[in-house]
This record gives sequence, structure tokens and C-alpha cells, in this order.
Amino acid sequence: MTNVRAYITGMGLITPLGKTVAETQCAILQGQRGFKRISIFPTPGDDAFLVGEIDGLPEGNGLPRTHILARIAAEEAMTGSEQPPGAIIVGTTTGGMAETEKNLRKHKPSPASYRYHGAGSVADYLASILGCAGPVITVSTACSSSATAIKVALEMLRQKRIESVLAVGADSLCRLTYYGFKSLQLIDPAGARPFDLNRKGMTVAEGAGAIFLQGADHVPENAIAEILGAGLSCDAFHPASPHPEGRGALEAMKTALRDAGVSPLDVDYINLHGTGTIDNDFSESAAVNRLFGNTIPCHSSVKGAMGHSLAAAGAIEAIISVMAMKNSMVPPNTGCKVPDPTLNMNPVREPLKKNIRTVLSNSFGFGGNNAAVVMGTPGNPVKDNDPTSDLPLTIAGRSLVSGAGFMAETVKAVSQGKDCKGILSEKELTRNLPAKTVRRMKRLPRMVLSLGMDAWENSGLKEGPGSLFFGTGWGSLSETFNFMTQLIDSDDQFASPTDFIGSVHNASAGQAAIQFQATGPNITTTGGNYSFEQALLTASLLSRGSDAPVLVIGGDESHETLSPLFDPSAPEDTARSDGGGALLLKRGTESSGMDLSPIFLEKSCDDGSTIRALISSLGGPEKLNFQYGALFAGIPESEKGFCHKQLNEFIKESDFRGSVIDYRKITGQFASASAVATVLAIAFTESGRIPEHLCDKGRSDLGGKGILIVGFGPYVTGIGILNKGFL
Amino acid sequence: MDRLTDELRRKIVTTLNLEETKPEDIAENDPLVGGELGLDSIDILELVMMIEKDYGVKIDNRELGAKVFATLKSLAQYIREETPGAAA
Repeated sequence: MTNVRAYITGMGLITPLGKTVAETQCAILQGQRGFKRISIFPTPGDDAFLVGEIDGLPEGNGLPRTHILARIAAEEAMTGSEQPPGAIIVGTTTGGMAETEKNLRKHKPSPASYRYHGAGSVADYLASILGCAGPVITVSTACSSSATAIKVALEMLRQKRIESVLAVGADSLCRLTYYGFKSLQLIDPAGARPFDLNRKGMTVAEGAGAIFLQGADHVPENAIAEILGAGLSCDAFHPASPHPEGRGALEAMKTALRDAGVSPLDVDYINLHGTGTIDNDFSESAAVNRLFGNTIPCHSSVKGAMGHSLAAAGAIEAIISVMAMKNSMVPPNTGCKVPDPTLNMNPVREPLKKNIRTVLSNSFGFGGNNAAVVMGTPGNPVKDNDPTSDLPLTIAGRSLVSGAGFMAETVKAVSQGKDCKGILSEKELTRNLPAKTVRRMKRLPRMVLSLGMDAWENSGLKEGPGSLFFGTGWGSLSETFNFMTQLIDSDDQFASPTDFIGSVHNASAGQAAIQFQATGPNITTTGGNYSFEQALLTASLLSRGSDAPVLVIGGDESHETLSPLFDPSAPEDTARSDGGGALLLKRGTESSGMDLSPIFLEKSCDDGSTIRALISSLGGPEKLNFQYGALFAGIPESEKGFCHKQLNEFIKESDFRGSVIDYRKITGQFASASAVATVLAIAFTESGRIPEHLCDKGRSDLGGKGILIVGFGPYVTGIGILNKGFL
Repeated sequence: MDRLTDELRRKIVTTLNLEETKPEDIAENDPLVGGELGLDSIDILELVMMIEKDYGVKIDNRELGAKVFATLKSLAQYIREETPGAAA
């Protein structure tokens, strides 16, 4: 098996310092600082602080700033490329938040005004304008989002799922981040001064970086650099503060170097996360000192020049790192005059001419989500990555939450011909969670914690999950709503730090990691109705070669005000529903139980080719009919017409003879309904039969066959549940 | 026991959703952070907002916050100093 390596063949950048890679690079080397007082929204009083705002963006006409920034960077990265990217992986946290804030303040009641709200809509938009018809994933792990996106992209190439991928990081300034970081008292009024003795905090910024990667077993002619490896970890320590000794940061860097096949001595330059906050710079320095000892390579953070663009920072700084190699110039740690002696760091403070072959770039985020990326000059002779075997993903444990209750209650209700729509009471939802643990949590993190604990208990495994993947369509709506309402009601005076930290999509998975002390990769994905499938695909990509249990959760909360605005399938006039499902998966060769395979996720093409690609990924009509006795179809209400057309195509093309169950008629309409459906499908596959009332044409007895869960709409997804030994 | 201290006890419990703590359990001289209450920096920042809202007293940096929120006593004292003529 030949080794596929990931080469960078295109890059695009927009930052407070410039609107292209070249402009930004030039400004950094001149020591410019891209800071000014915020102007994109009014701030009451005269205490507006410095931010990294980008001037002169084109008018959006409803298209949010994040989307515009992402487009500008993506178009630069794709310049000269004849083919659209085979996949798109975006790292973002704010998505359309800046526009949503305006709309909520104007009390706009129409869901159409919020169509770009979702963090996943940035990737949808890029896929549409670039003509991408492959997998599309959005990673939302706060400030490590786009570095994590690069790792996901790298694994997609290595595992030959696609031949090229565009990895993007984008975030725009908005009130949520501006007032959120202010409420955390993490802003330096003089602008960020990373690693400086007098540093007082960070500078919130915006921007986007896009990296076009091509998988090849030889160096392509147009290769600019190579992604050698990347490492992910979770602090499992605190929702917002880094581990004081940099435990997770160290682990991420070590894993990245191992993944890249290089030693600390090979690193010529470290592009530091270096936000300028007391705590980050302290813990990152501790980790760097422990890893490199007395031979710390030259290092700098560029956040004193361009600020911290949150989810965009990882991709932006990967590009800055590549430019450092390309031009043999180390970018200066702008803003640092006197290094803090307690940190034992000596950041490069003036541009430095140096031959650089290997770079390590760090990104750390809320939820303790850490990522480190290693890049090298193309053709750098490093060792090949060991291709790892692909053991099946076995279902070791599962759990669900629905309007009818937990797994046992839900399976019982559905078996008796009832549905499981509705909203489980908060009291029921948290019946097994200590009051002290959940006192700061609202509905979604409570649901996620319950799901995770139940799935683990259900598995009977002693060992807890090492890594955690969480898919959510809309994230923590209660926290987001409370934060925004309090801000609006107080004329922008008061913002709750607890709600801000809780509002990030990855907050729930970060809490679950603390609960399980799960220090491996911790990834939150988001993309409307396909979020759970994104989490499953990501888990499958990142769990190769490890036999540690992997927890995959899909969950969404229904919010009275926000759900009907954001989720077009959750109109106010039908009963509200929410819930989720969790799977504890383990790669192994056990002979009994059930496997989860394959996992299919692609953007729909109008010509029906996506449906044919799904059928082909399942081994063709004959194998599909042999393996699966029933089809669970995901048909979001708002896409009903299109979905039924796709479903008919699927049945026609595959000649599917089992029963077809429109599962949202049982679960209700919410983004993570597919997670509930998957756990129900597992329960029915295990029992060998589906309830009589759900059979339209097939038999109730599955005859040992499995159940296929297919999501229709703008994306087509497929998840197979199969009994082991039934080939 | 003075009125302000008692009021702060109740407000801390409700603001931070300390379901298992009774207001009278918060001793005047015990450390607020890292003690038995299980509070951390985020809780302190949440209290910063409450103090500004309810008493009009700003505590706008972490160094000052660490001093003011050392104990319930130091918090009450700071509020008194910053609001002359208010609750004694």
C-alpha cells in the first residue's frame, strides 16, 4: 500500500494586516499591528477596546462577514486549480452570528433571515460556490477549530477517501466574542503583547485562512509545503482555562511530532498559540519548555500583530508558518518588548533570516481542545507514516434521549406503536447527574453528559472513552439566547461569562471530557441535520490504529425562541422535540455484537449521482439487499419534496425490498434526530425484528440482517448497522 | 451579622446556582475560591457582573478581583468603600 502524503498547493489569507497571503506576510515582516477601535457595531459608552477588524469588506446583503471572509480566502487558495476540491473542512465558531445579532435586535421573525446562522452554513456556502460534491465537515472546537480541521483533512487524504481537500478557518468579529471576552476580563487594552512581562490579555480579531491540500505519493510540481502531521488532545481540566502546566498542550505537540515522524530536534521554528493572556502564555511556555528542554527552537506568536481570530487562527498561522519556510524568514513576535522572565521563553522580536525546513504550529481552545500541526518543505526526507489496519468499529455501548425518555422507555414506546416526540423534562434528563456537576450547565451539556454516562454504563467496559466526538446542529441554544438577551436588555452593559463559555459549540463535549478524563482528541462538528454523521465520520477517520473506546454523541436542544428561527424543520406550529443518541465504539476483532459501517457523507448533486455513489459505497444493489432488512430514512420536513425524490431514486436504483421507515415521524423534527434513529436501529437489529406497525412492505423479522440509516436532502448520508458474522 | 453580608450570601447562592449550599454556610473569612464552595475564576467573573448590576461597583480587572473576592468579608468591605453612604 503506497503512502499518500498531503501537499499544500494553494493558500489564501485575509487578516487585519492584509487581504492576501502576500499582503499579510509583508505587513508582519514590517512589524505592523492591525489594531483599531471596533466600528462594525456601536459600543455604548466610550470604552471600546482595540480589535483586529478588517476594513473594506464587500457588502454582504445578508451574507454574514464570516462567509465573506471564508470566500475571499478560499478563492485565493483555489486560484489556478482546475478542479473543485474533493472535500471541504471548515473550522469556525461564530458562523453567521454577526448577522443573527442584528436580526434578533430588529426582531426579524422569518427563518429566512437566519439561513446563514449555522456555523455549518459557511462550509455549505463554500461547497456551493466552489462546486464541491464530496464530504463537507465543519469543526467547531473554539480557538483550535481550523488546526483541527487540518488534521481531519490530513486523515481524509491519508485514508484515500478523497484526492484533494480545502481546509478553511474563518471567524468574524461579533458582539458575542467582543463582549464575551470582555466579560472574561481577558482583553489587553493596549493590544495583545504575547509573552511580554506586562501582557494583560488578548486582542479579539477576525480573519480567514484557506489551504488547498492534495494527496499524492510523490511531490506535485506545484507543492508549496507538506503537512507532515498533526496532533490533537484535550486538557479535560476546565471549560475555559488551560491546564497550568500545559498538560494538554504538551500532549498535542508530542502527538503531532510523532504523527509527522520528526523529533523535537528537527523543529526549526515554533509558531506559538501565544494569545497574550496570562494563563495561555504561562501554560504554553511550560509545555514548550518540557518538550524541548534546553534546545527550544526559535519561536514567535503573530497574535500581537493580527490579534486572535479564534477559529480562523489555526489555518491562518499554518499559512504564516509555510511563508516562514518559503521565504526563510521568522515572523516577529510583535508587541513583546521585554519577555516575561518567569516563562523562560525568548520570542523572536525582529524578523529573522533563517533556513526553516520544519515548523510546529500550536492552537488551543476553550473546552481544553488542543491541536498542533507540523509542516515541512516539500520533499523533506522524513519517515513514512505507518499505514494502520482498518479494524471494524464495534458498537460497545449506546444510549439515547427522546421525548419519551431514555433508551429503555423510548424503545418500549416505539415498539408499542407510539412515537417518542416531545421534550424530556430537565429533572428527568439530569436524574443521574450530581447537582454540583451540572450547576453551571443548561439543557444541551446536561443532555450530552447524560448520554455519555449512559452509553458508557451500557457498554459494561471498565475503561472510559479516550476520545470524544460530538455532533450538534445548533449547539447550546439556551446559553446563546441568555447571553444575547442579557446583553440587549442591558444596552450592551452586561454579558455573562458563564453563558459565553457555555455558548461555544464544543462546551458540552469539553464538559464530558472532564467527566471521563478523556484526554484524547475531542472534536465537535456541526452541520444542521448532518452533524451527527459528521461526528461519526470524523471519529472513524481519527480512530484508526487505536483500540481505545471512542464516544460519539449527537444531540440538540429545542429552544422556544431560537429553534423555530434557526431550524427550518422545526416550525412553531408543530410539537417541539429534541434529544440525541450516543455510541461507545471500539475498534476490534470481537466475534459477536454489531458493527457500524460504512459511514457515507456527500453533498447532493442534482443529477442523482450522489445516490448512486451511496449505493456503490454499500457494495451495490445485491449486497445491499442481502445485508439490510430495513431502511431508516431521514427526511427533514423543510426538504420533504426533494428528499422523497431522492428516496424514490434510491429505492429504484437499489431495488430495495425491505421496509422503509421515515424516522422523523417517530422522533420529531430536530437536527440530531438521526442519532436517536441510529440507536433505535441498533436496538431493532439486536432484537432481530422491527415493530410490526413500522413495516410497510418488508417483513418484521429481519432474518439476521441489519438496518441502514440514510439521511436525505442537501447532503446524503449513510450509516450501516450490521450483526457481526453476517456478511 | 450585617445586612449587606447576609444579602451577599443569598445572592452568591442564587447567582451561582449553588443548590446544595445554604447561604449561612458561607463563612465570612473562608476563601471564596478553591474552598469548599467549589468556586473558580468563572464564578468570580459571574459575581463581578452581579455586583456591578446590583451595587453599581465595577471590578474590571483580574488582579483587583482576586483581592476583592478573597473572602465574603473582603467583598462586603470593598462594596462599602466604593458606595459611600450605602448599606452600612
